[in-house]
Amino acid sequence: MDMSTDNLDIMQFFVSMLIVGIGVALLATGMFTAYFGAGKSQKIGFALLFLGAIILALVIDMAFGTIDVMPDQFAKTNDDGDLIFMNALVSGVSALGGMVIGMFVILFVLMKVDTVDDLEDLDLEDLEDLDLDEELKKLEEELNQADNNDEEDNNSEEEK
Amino acid sequence: MNTELIISMGLVGVMLSMLFMGLLIAYYGSSKTRNVGFVFLVVGAGLAYYLAEMGMDAHPTVSFMNGMLAFVGGMIGGIIGIIVFLVAIIKS
Repeated sequence: MDMSTDNLDIMQFFVSMLIVGIGVALLATGMFTAYFGAGKSQKIGFALLFLGAIILALVIDMAFGTIDVMPDQFAKTNDDGDLIFMNALVSGVSALGGMVIGMFVILFVLMKVDTVDDLEDLDLEDLEDLDLDEELKKLEEELNQADNNDEEDNNSEEEK
Repeated sequence: MNTELIISMGLVGVMLSMLFMGLLIAYYGSSKTRNVGFVFLVVGAGLAYYLAEMGMDAHPTVSFMNGMLAFVGGMIGGIIGIIVFLVAIIKS
């Protein structure tokens, strides 16, 4: 297995996806904060949203060279003639898609597996021994005692 | 070329989620749930073995490593973005 880094396009792949990641994160967090925030937080949300939109616009420009604001540095092609930046984007998105699929598989299996047996680990004997009527009577007595004490205190203050 | 890249990187994503979720479930789960966590761990390890030993022969290594670079870059970029958001919110 060739693990040398001589042929790896670190600038094109790593940095381009780093910028895309920052842009997407800022856009998403900005949208949430601008919608759910209030006052100062909402203003910060709009600022983050604006920043994320600018970053993603620059990335689109770098990928397709449409706006001519920046040099078309990510529009380079490899030996097969494929756009290097597009390969990076496809790699990142497919890996994230794979992670999402994996999570769904895990959730599906966990929901299908009968985990009710876990309740057997709980010690339910204490609960079974509880007499609810007796506990209720005790609570009522405590409350009545507290009320009587309050009334006695009020009467003694009035007499004074 | 792109199809191979999509499949191999998708497998990497599934492998990562199986390994990390398997670890968490195997550690914090109890009885049946814990057993399922161990199964996830084994599936993740099997996928890792396939990608490291057999998948490399099928997929071009440089493209795959470039894909990994892109994935790691995207993840780090996302983390930086969230840190920027947290700093802005906490400092305000």
